[in-house]
Amino acid sequence: MKSVLYYIKEFARREWFSKFFTARTAPLESPPYFRDFPVLSGKTCTHSLFCMMACPAPGAIDVLRTPQGWQPRIHKGHCIRCGLCVEACPNGVLTSGRILDSTGRDGTALSFSFKIRVDPELCMGCGNCAVACPVNKVIDTQMSHGGRASNEGLLLRVNEGKCLVVHEEKCTGCKTCEHHCPNEAITVARLLEAVQAGEEMQ
Amino acid sequence: MTLLQSIKNYVRSKSIHVSYVDVGSCNGCDIEVLACLAPRYDIEQYGIYVHNNPREADILLVIGAYTPGWEEKLEMVWNKIPEPKVAIAIGNCPISGCLFNRPHTYIDPPVSKHIPIAASVPGCPPRPTEILNAVLSLAPVVFKDYEVKKR
Amino acid sequence: MKKTVDVSIPLGPIHPCFKEPARVKCETKGEFVTGAEVELGYMKKGIERIMKGRPWQEVMFLAERVCGICSVIHNMVFIEALEKMSGIEVPERAALLRVVVNELDRMQSHTLANFSYCYTIEHETLGMYLLDMREKVMDLLELITGARVTCAYIVPGGVRFDLREEDRESLLASLDAIETDVRRYMGMFEGGSLIGLRSRDIGILSKEAALEAHAVGPTARASGMPEIDRRLQHPTYQKLQFTPVSRDGCDNFSRIMIRFDELLQSIELIRRCSALLPEGPVRGGGIPGAGEIVYCGEAPRGELTYFIKTDDAGRILDISIQTPSIMNIEACCHYMLKDAASIADVPSTFVSADPCIACTER
Repeated sequence: MKSVLYYIKEFARREWFSKFFTARTAPLESPPYFRDFPVLSGKTCTHSLFCMMACPAPGAIDVLRTPQGWQPRIHKGHCIRCGLCVEACPNGVLTSGRILDSTGRDGTALSFSFKIRVDPELCMGCGNCAVACPVNKVIDTQMSHGGRASNEGLLLRVNEGKCLVVHEEKCTGCKTCEHHCPNEAITVARLLEAVQAGEEMQ
Repeated sequence: MTLLQSIKNYVRSKSIHVSYVDVGSCNGCDIEVLACLAPRYDIEQYGIYVHNNPREADILLVIGAYTPGWEEKLEMVWNKIPEPKVAIAIGNCPISGCLFNRPHTYIDPPVSKHIPIAASVPGCPPRPTEILNAVLSLAPVVFKDYEVKKR
Repeated sequence: MKKTVDVSIPLGPIHPCFKEPARVKCETKGEFVTGAEVELGYMKKGIERIMKGRPWQEVMFLAERVCGICSVIHNMVFIEALEKMSGIEVPERAALLRVVVNELDRMQSHTLANFSYCYTIEHETLGMYLLDMREKVMDLLELITGARVTCAYIVPGGVRFDLREEDRESLLASLDAIETDVRRYMGMFEGGSLIGLRSRDIGILSKEAALEAHAVGPTARASGMPEIDRRLQHPTYQKLQFTPVSRDGCDNFSRIMIRFDELLQSIELIRRCSALLPEGPVRGGGIPGAGEIVYCGEAPRGELTYFIKTDDAGRILDISIQTPSIMNIEACCHYMLKDAASIADVPSTFVSADPCIACTER
């Protein structure tokens, strides 16, 4: 009996009535710490393409040339909102949620290094990789086809019928050599390292 | 527009039955659709009722990247839904195949090759509010004047 | 001799109670279930094939998407396997933060499993309470990692984001509220006679049967096997003096209650982590190298194993994943569903084992 009275009293309240008929929780806003699709932060892109190299989703990010200069473009429907591009960018061109704030506070970053591996059994020494390499093109503009050159500063060159990696540290990870190899002998590994600046830097 | 038609429009926009079908996702979008049921988002206050019976549904939420196990079966589910009906793709998988769309995969995206998709909600996974907003914004539009459009 | 009634009743692949497509074929004799068989194959995406030849920053996200519900543990096991293989040191703070996020993920997964169970026994009110509690846990996950489901939080040599001091306070405050809620819902389960009628002494998986079926995770721990917990072998959990819980009921009710027990245990673990949290960096750096390893971790559903082989540039040459759900689904179909008194108990028994079809088939 007591509980019946309680319920009658509960339901007789005007507030209950008004809420029952009108209450709506509006579609909620995303909190500020949510990693949404990255947007441009207004800083200048230097076309280092680290965002594209870090991106794990196929076809999610492109860096396009616009009248304002290079600009990364996010494709919805492909982007998985992981935020790696935001962290990998050295200039902070993209921003998403609190990521830029955190990286600035804690000194965290993602750094790239590249390893070039040539399979000696598959390599025919054709030199396509050395000719196609954009770093080589800058160093030695006169490079003959076949990739034989005596310049010591080259990244790749052909020596005694085999491709030779001379200066691995000059690699920018563009994978042009990989696409031009007819035999899939050369592979570029993009190594991502999660680093944090030491205590003294903070 | 007749009075009957306007009543139908009103009723259809206020009472939507939603069914979801998982054609090979990672479960992430599944649980975000389930989270729409939570009192925080409370999808039922808008007259949207989520259950899993395609024969009673108006809107089909397609989740996942279309695995070979669903060949013909998805079309069967789609045909069982009574008219008027509409399908929404939830998440990246039905749109583009997300991360699974790589060489050597088994999946066959996008889902719009197999059934007509009216709208899509990008994100991996989308937030419940995004799913909710998509269903709410679509519902009054697609079912409006259905009988007139059919003629 | 003539069989009385022998009907094979298929449940699924689209069934109001199942979140994911799976087909359970029940051999029935009248209302009495004599045996069951599970048919999988609706979700095969070939993730392990896609993973081959890719560096860790791509495989990490694929590993997360093996299972969306328990995504953090897949991330954690994969990264910790690479770290152990190449000898990468993890800072103390990062190791504890990993445990915090992993336990939050376990909490939301267990709450979701109990919600599905409430849904299958048609106790929707309690299910909604649990789902509301889960939203609080999801908020905490989002606060720390920035995403609700696929967090992408753990990277080789540490974690991606530090836990800020103000976030730590709101984390602890929310945990207090969640603990009160969990205790209240546990009281509802223990005191509610209707729930007891639908779940006590139904879907019995005895200890012998659990050993025979290689059941893992909460399903095995509800049959009195606490030592099956892989967290006992994890160094960070050892530092936190982790002791597993178990129950001896062997039925659906114990399987639900053990998840509530583990919720409380997870809350306790997060509090201990937060008390121990030292100052310092959260990333130590380090690049995975060549090697081969087998590494196990405790997912919310049981033991999760990764077999990984990499080349000298850290790319995955060969990978194979063993997920916990397949053992639990087998145990469910061959032992729990056998001799079920009613076909109405089949969905609730199947869900009580917390099957995750997406990670079973990958």
